[in-house]
Amino acid sequence: MNQAAPAPKENMGNPVPRIDARLKVTGQAGYSADLPTANMAYGALATSSIAKGSITAVRLEKARKVPGVLDIVSVGDMDGIDKPKFGNTGASSIAPLHDKAIFHDGQIIALVVAETFEAAEEAAALIRADYAEETPSAGFDSRGTEMEPAAGKSPLFKEDVKAGDFDAAYAAAAVKIDEKYSTPTQHHNPIELFSTTAVWQGDQLTVYEPSQNVTGWKAELARQLKIDPANVRIVSPYVGGAFGSKGPMTARTAIVAVAARSVGRPVRCVVSRIQAYGTQTYRAETRHRIRIGANQDGRITAFAHEGWEVTSRPDPYVVGGTSATGRMYDYGSVLTHVSLVHADRNTPGYMRSPPETPYVYALENAMDEMAVALGMDPVEFRRVNEPQKEPIGGKPFSSRSLVKCYDQAAEAFGWSKREAAVGSMRDGDWLVGMGCATAIYPTAAAPCAARVRLTTDGEVRVQCGSHEIGTGVRTVAAQMAAERLGIEMDKVSVEMGDSALPPAPVSGGSISTASVCSAVLKACDAVRAKLFAAAVAEAGPLAGSGNAKLEMSQEKIVADNGKSAKLSDVFKTMQIGAIEEYAEFAPKGSSPEALKKLYAGQSEFHGGDQDKDSVKYAFGAEFVEVRINSHTREIRVPRIVGAFAAGRIMNTRTARSQLMGGMIWGIGQALHEATEIDKRHARYVNRDLQDYLVPVNADVKQLEVILVPEIDHEVNPAGVKGLGELGNVGTAAAVASAVYHATGKRIRDLPIRIDHLIV
Amino acid sequence: MSETPLASLSRRSFMTGSVSAAAAGPLMATSAKAAAPQPAASAEPRDLSAISLRINKQPYNLALDNRTSLLDALRDHVGLTGTKKGCDHGQCGACTVLVDGKRVLSCLSFAVMNKGHEITTVEGLASADGNLHPMQQAFIDNDAFQCGYCTPGQIMSAIGCINEGHAGSEGDIREYMSGNLCRCAAYPNIVAAIMQAQDETRKA
Repeated sequence: MNQAAPAPKENMGNPVPRIDARLKVTGQAGYSADLPTANMAYGALATSSIAKGSITAVRLEKARKVPGVLDIVSVGDMDGIDKPKFGNTGASSIAPLHDKAIFHDGQIIALVVAETFEAAEEAAALIRADYAEETPSAGFDSRGTEMEPAAGKSPLFKEDVKAGDFDAAYAAAAVKIDEKYSTPTQHHNPIELFSTTAVWQGDQLTVYEPSQNVTGWKAELARQLKIDPANVRIVSPYVGGAFGSKGPMTARTAIVAVAARSVGRPVRCVVSRIQAYGTQTYRAETRHRIRIGANQDGRITAFAHEGWEVTSRPDPYVVGGTSATGRMYDYGSVLTHVSLVHADRNTPGYMRSPPETPYVYALENAMDEMAVALGMDPVEFRRVNEPQKEPIGGKPFSSRSLVKCYDQAAEAFGWSKREAAVGSMRDGDWLVGMGCATAIYPTAAAPCAARVRLTTDGEVRVQCGSHEIGTGVRTVAAQMAAERLGIEMDKVSVEMGDSALPPAPVSGGSISTASVCSAVLKACDAVRAKLFAAAVAEAGPLAGSGNAKLEMSQEKIVADNGKSAKLSDVFKTMQIGAIEEYAEFAPKGSSPEALKKLYAGQSEFHGGDQDKDSVKYAFGAEFVEVRINSHTREIRVPRIVGAFAAGRIMNTRTARSQLMGGMIWGIGQALHEATEIDKRHARYVNRDLQDYLVPVNADVKQLEVILVPEIDHEVNPAGVKGLGELGNVGTAAAVASAVYHATGKRIRDLPIRIDHLIV
Repeated sequence: MSETPLASLSRRSFMTGSVSAAAAGPLMATSAKAAAPQPAASAEPRDLSAISLRINKQPYNLALDNRTSLLDALRDHVGLTGTKKGCDHGQCGACTVLVDGKRVLSCLSFAVMNKGHEITTVEGLASADGNLHPMQQAFIDNDAFQCGYCTPGQIMSAIGCINEGHAGSEGDIREYMSGNLCRCAAYPNIVAAIMQAQDETRKA
């Protein structure tokens, strides 16, 4: 065992290597734009050079003259096609080639199709448009934006949570803070480029595109193209990073399908890195005002969190993280309010830990400020305010191991060695600071179907239309089947990433492991039931063991009376070669239509704060050491420790890797990532991987992930909480806290850069 | 410009300058101009060139648009899609291949510049009997990837890094592997994999 494969503790599965590892290290894993198709033509996009106004003419003449150009689909060429919708599956209601209206910079104005990639790119670069241009509003502080309350504008954000009388409690509080925080615009920037490959065979359309939601896209694409969903198939076997960016379907998918139908050939359009900034979703910038009031003993009596988020003109995209921040601690009274600010921008979308990344950053930075104001140790301050029940609805937590996480992370980090006084831990030229913060993410699951086949020779095939985006979901689904059916991992294969498979929900919101494993578990149990019934039947090899408890192990059915039967012998008595079971899982408390909606491509999440009996969240604690050069103010993070509890851990290897990746994302949130906007033109400026900074290898040194054992039978049958997003939450606040500890400077606007620290 | 040896030209300078020796002569007519053979001195960038490439010890004879990058040649014309496109600008490292044992960003290299050189891609690392290269095995052992998209580039770069003598310490590895972005952020595991595989890689 090495560091990447931690020994499992209680309620944790083995660190089995990824079942697709060999494919990934040999270049054989087929990502969407790798899949071969015959007679392919190449697509390239042209995009708008203004952010607001309308197109008066698109000039295609020069582009058409480029040798090899086959067709150009442009504004007005989407007759007979329905417009995209904003919502469960669609990224935006903006319909770029239907309308002449321009809603944002970088909006698609044409798709060139050519014989070669080079010709398509050359032609697309020659396309110009004439515009009736208006002055755009870029975002916060721009003239012409429209603000509205967010509550009720999105099914994902129903209300501004509150409890008690905040105003009175805050007025009476002995110690209080009132501060503002902000987080910048960010783009997911998965390393795999966005792409669409559309292949028509008669009236059957196959689309190869990296997707976190093949079933949803199938339904939405069929709706836009006005064809039977049965004739549409979305294929996305491997996804080269997603982080939310490949969840919502964008307008491009239907445009490429229309172009492919028009030229009568398969068309592949790989979107350039630059164009992705305007044609995909992103995390919009947010602002926060937080007020906390407490008694001298450190008990919080009043908490208010106001948030502002930017969205596009037409679509009310909202993350609204106050549902989680309002339930984090034992506040006494809570007041929250979220506002949307509509600007001339593309519609934002979910990005890793969508509500919690910005909102918990603000909360936890404020908690650190409050601890300073109280003269308390920040860990102790959180411990004092640990709730028995969440403050909004007075419900218990299904499980909450936050204090254990703090204890274990603090010990591993050496928190006791921290000297509390600001600026007291200097090491030569380096100012040393230590900080901490809480991570929280709601635990949800969604309806999911799976098919499991077991053959007489012990081969297992699992099929589920979920998505391998790097989480290891194929591996944990295989582990679940192997464990339940008593088969070695190397005899289990898993098919995912195809809308022809049993439907699964969107792979977002840390729901995949819980949803997929619960469905696989159910299908496996149905297989077991058939085998067990046959084994103990009169003619079966375990006849007479009807009252015994049966298990499956090493390709045998084992009874607790000491008898066992080979799997192949049970099949022999059944006179069949395979058992195949199809199972549907719906989380407890789902709506009666939840499963029907699954087949229509609509994922109904259930969990978090939705249940009557308890609220469901995963927790963690992160500790960070920063070092700031006293001359250059260069900021380094030499050490980071996170402890997390998230119910059953299916695989300690993949779990650790996801949490590690999340923590490093958190370092990026704290110190690197920001999409800069030219406010005059409402245009993203740093649209590439050179100027949009993400953490690189040299930004990470010592990193430790501690998996804290936790058992939670309430969350779902698999007992899994999910942790893909958890590691990313809180990190930035821990860094900000450490920067304060080192320098005495409280940086409230992310990212924290050298220029913030120059006196 | 016309005297500059082709192999030392970057794709950027090619795109902005005119290169006399760029084309070995158009083979297939894709434009009206190209229908009549052009003297090499005035070759159009979009003309096709006949080139032979040696990739993973196999010869390939190709007719490529002069603007075709080595990356697109590998992916779209040779069918070796293990090498990935992440930015097409030399900023992410996903397209890293070895050219004569040295790591090269294949998106910043024209295919035509690679004539006569030995190109190695991720598909060329495992032995014919299926045994993985030590670096590939180390990436599996240390879970040095999640989505796997940057992985071929990381593995090729890791081998290049060792060949250069820049894998002496974890600090060196972190520094010299920082041109290969991993958005899943498997960095500590990548460093561990390179530490594990470096001795065997030197022998391989």
